[in-house]
Amino acid sequence: MASREEIERFKVGKDLVNQLSVVLRTSQIHDPGNVAVTSVIDKLVSMINLLIEDERVVSLELRGEFFYINDYRIRYSLEYLLNFDFLIREFKKRELGSVIFKDRIAVDQIKAFVRAFIAAPFSETPYDVMVEKMESVKSISVDMLKKIVEEDSLEPRKMVKKTYFNAVSYTRGVINKIKSGEKVNIKKAKRVIETMVDHILEEEQLLLGMTAIKDYDDYTYHHSVNVSILSIALGQRLGLNRKTLTELGMVALFHDIGKMDIPYEVLNKPSNFTDEEWKIIRMHPVWGVKALLKLKKLDPLTIRSAVVSFEHHMNFDLSGYPRATKSFDLDFFSRIVCLADQYDAMTSSRVYSRIPMAPDKALSIMMERSGSQLDPLLFKFFINMVGVFPIGTVVMLSTKELGLVCESNQLFPARPRVMIIIDEKGSKVKGHIVDLTEKSEQDIFVRSITRTMDPNKYKINLAEYLL
Amino acid sequence: MKNGPQDSSLADMSEEVRRARDIIQSFLKSKKILRMYPSNNPIYINTLEDDFNKFKEFFHYRDDLALKIRQNEIYYDAEQIYFSAEKEESLALFFFKDGLREITFRKGLAFEEMEDFLKIISLDFNRDAVDDDIVTLFWEKDFQNIQYVVDDTVLADEDDYEETAVSRIKESEPDEDTLRRAYEDASREEGVVKDVSIVPLSDKDLQQLLSELEKDSQDKTDKLTDILFEIFALPQPKEDYEDLVGFFVNAIEFAIRHGDIQLVTNVLAGLKKVVDDAKAEDERKKCAKRVLLLTGSEPIIGLLGELLDGGQEVEEKVFEDFVKYLDRNAIVPFMKILGELKSIHARKVVIDALILLGTKDIATLSKGLNDSRWYVVRNIIYILRKIGDRRAVDYLMKTVRHGDIRVKKEVIRALGELGGAGVLQTLRDCLDDPDIQVRSSALKALGNIKSEAAKRIVMNKIADKYFKDRDFEEKKEYFEMLSHWKDSEVYDSAVGILKKKTFFGRAKNYENRACAAYCLGLLGNKDALPLLNRFKNDGNKLLREFVHTAMKRIEYGQ
Repeated sequence: MASREEIERFKVGKDLVNQLSVVLRTSQIHDPGNVAVTSVIDKLVSMINLLIEDERVVSLELRGEFFYINDYRIRYSLEYLLNFDFLIREFKKRELGSVIFKDRIAVDQIKAFVRAFIAAPFSETPYDVMVEKMESVKSISVDMLKKIVEEDSLEPRKMVKKTYFNAVSYTRGVINKIKSGEKVNIKKAKRVIETMVDHILEEEQLLLGMTAIKDYDDYTYHHSVNVSILSIALGQRLGLNRKTLTELGMVALFHDIGKMDIPYEVLNKPSNFTDEEWKIIRMHPVWGVKALLKLKKLDPLTIRSAVVSFEHHMNFDLSGYPRATKSFDLDFFSRIVCLADQYDAMTSSRVYSRIPMAPDKALSIMMERSGSQLDPLLFKFFINMVGVFPIGTVVMLSTKELGLVCESNQLFPARPRVMIIIDEKGSKVKGHIVDLTEKSEQDIFVRSITRTMDPNKYKINLAEYLL
Repeated sequence: MKNGPQDSSLADMSEEVRRARDIIQSFLKSKKILRMYPSNNPIYINTLEDDFNKFKEFFHYRDDLALKIRQNEIYYDAEQIYFSAEKEESLALFFFKDGLREITFRKGLAFEEMEDFLKIISLDFNRDAVDDDIVTLFWEKDFQNIQYVVDDTVLADEDDYEETAVSRIKESEPDEDTLRRAYEDASREEGVVKDVSIVPLSDKDLQQLLSELEKDSQDKTDKLTDILFEIFALPQPKEDYEDLVGFFVNAIEFAIRHGDIQLVTNVLAGLKKVVDDAKAEDERKKCAKRVLLLTGSEPIIGLLGELLDGGQEVEEKVFEDFVKYLDRNAIVPFMKILGELKSIHARKVVIDALILLGTKDIATLSKGLNDSRWYVVRNIIYILRKIGDRRAVDYLMKTVRHGDIRVKKEVIRALGELGGAGVLQTLRDCLDDPDIQVRSSALKALGNIKSEAAKRIVMNKIADKYFKDRDFEEKKEYFEMLSHWKDSEVYDSAVGILKKKTFFGRAKNYENRACAAYCLGLLGNKDALPLLNRFKNDGNKLLREFVHTAMKRIEYGQ
């Protein structure tokens, strides 16, 4: 449990970020001299000065997708989500990494900062403009956004890859152990999930990228891990804390555990299922509950896992299976896992559905199901998370380059980062990455997506590029 | 050397290394202290303060204390500061086995963080029911100034899985021609890129999400039991019913541990419905019956006892409903906890439960009368009395000779309330008990029975030649009890005694006569007034006073 001091720190931090965002939003509409602006500036000044009394220096820094105040990460606040997103976007637009307040701040100094902030995006070098315009403001300084250098990004990628395959390997081991009646080490599962949670918080796109790589042979285990990753990522967007994210990751990892009781010849049948076989398949949520309740002594996590295992195919409108004898309020986690499960299943190659769907196609189908099979509210968050062009989507660009989406862009969903696999001359190239938010000197986007392609039709192996 | 540096002597150590080593030693000490003492104990508090001071002193030299963990050693700045080849007590191995390879304490380390860290390393992972390993516990604390490096290879089930999987996944690379075809197709066709758009999140969405999150924080055990009933409704193999029994029982145990008796009652009500359902298959009924029986078993009732003794408030009505679903097998476990519970409230709840349950099996409940603890026996007598079933009399009468006076009094009272032929003889015997309290209880019990036979016993005792030798207070009690039978025989008897004069033993006779006046007063019969009037100025002070009081009572109903 968080200490009172931590809670206080978190509250002060998120209030400060929110207030700065309010000031900047208001200033974009009104002149800094307007009373609407001055009143919000006054509040911001008093908040900063209160902090300065204790801390002497207050540094607000953007690292990745998170703000830090004096090195403390200000956790994603659902209440202020829109203002947080706005501020992240505006900082990035100006290549602004941090704002440092020293000594007591006066209203005029904040006004000068706001003017510099507003003027900056109109320049080609927004950060330099900000620095220049703020030269006279001694108590406030700014630093440039620290870009992740290519060399540094290699290491996280390796770590993420290792985490992903550790998780798959662990899941494989667990299923085999349960099948053979051996004892299962759940402590290890928690460790696996905690590592994934850390990666989602720090390197979300890299870990999400791993879910785009599908392994037909080990589908069941990859699917469990993928659903866990997608669920954690969605949970993170919903503002769940680390501990809850771990619980969500755990229940998602074991959501399909009942499938291990489906006879091999049914589970691996290449043709359509008979009615009788469907009946067997539809028993897996029930078998999952039984398997989980036998796995370890009852605790809140086991209960939640059993609930999700039972409900993940019931559908938002209860039209799925198992059919309940009385009215059911689907668990929050069940609704999250259901989304992640459907998305990963549709975009994977399985025994009974060898041709997987392109990610964007899967999303359109899910959109049709939103409100019936899927929770419409959570689907909104899900689509915001995976983006219009999810990782692994093959795209043709306006520059006649063919590429692969390797990183979504939360703020500009239609403009992800793309790995070029065929250049404009039609030659195969090995993967330099372009950012579709990049603009020319004429303020026009350099590249845009003109169409998406089905990677499966052309047997494009995402693993070749993403691993 | 054990628990210390092997290669370098202490004298050669830099001050900084020496302080790092001191911190390790203090970890070892704190591990023991934190296990032994509660957190408000001065030794506990002083130990933590000492540890914190050691950190503060170290941070004069450096901003970080980075400890490298090996299987048997801990290093600081390439210097070995700890070594132990032991398996059980080694601090190095303790960290190492869960994958910890480096722990760094940063200058901003807060006292609370250090305490949390020490609390975690003080846990006895072999004995305490700890569901998590040390890394998970660190992770959950989300330390700001304690960082650690973990080797996650321990998590994979196979050593080379990553390599094998990657090479297998990469096997099917497309050839150049296929890729070119994709490119040509893509270049040829222009089209709409997508039919899915990002839907901006509104304030209403966020509000809705907040309320979902709030709802989500509720306990999920009721959901689990709903699911168990759903599964229970499905046809299944016989052996699966056995599993379901276990699942239901576990859920019930869990709910009791969390104080949710209402949920347990709901589950039992659901199961009872199945038992009573004429259409339900035999196996389902059997399964439901077993769960109902197991709920009354010793382990579950024991848990209930722990809950009650822990001060958990249980609503009387909720608990009563719960007990109604239990079978008589719950009687013995309830009696067992009755003797173990410490809180009065908990005992009261259990006594109420036994009053409800006892009606199902008086014989089993009566076995509690043989308990070695007097207070349990007294409680059981109380319960039997409250149940009011005369079948209990035979068992109770055997307890009349119990060695504890408190038990004796309770059983006499119970016998008085239950009544019955055999009881009178026992009560008559008790009137001659050497203990005044027993005699007094027996008298009250007879008064309670109010039968002719009981009256006869009391009157015979009064008429006994030795009666006059009893203490005045006891005699007064006899007459008071006699007045319960408001009939002419009693009236005449009292009149007779009031009139009776003796030459010898005059003082004792005055006591008898005063008691008879007292009895007449209680009877309230106005016919007695002339007689009483005759003695209102009697020379004996005691008689005078009692006559006076009796007259007032009859005249004014006082």
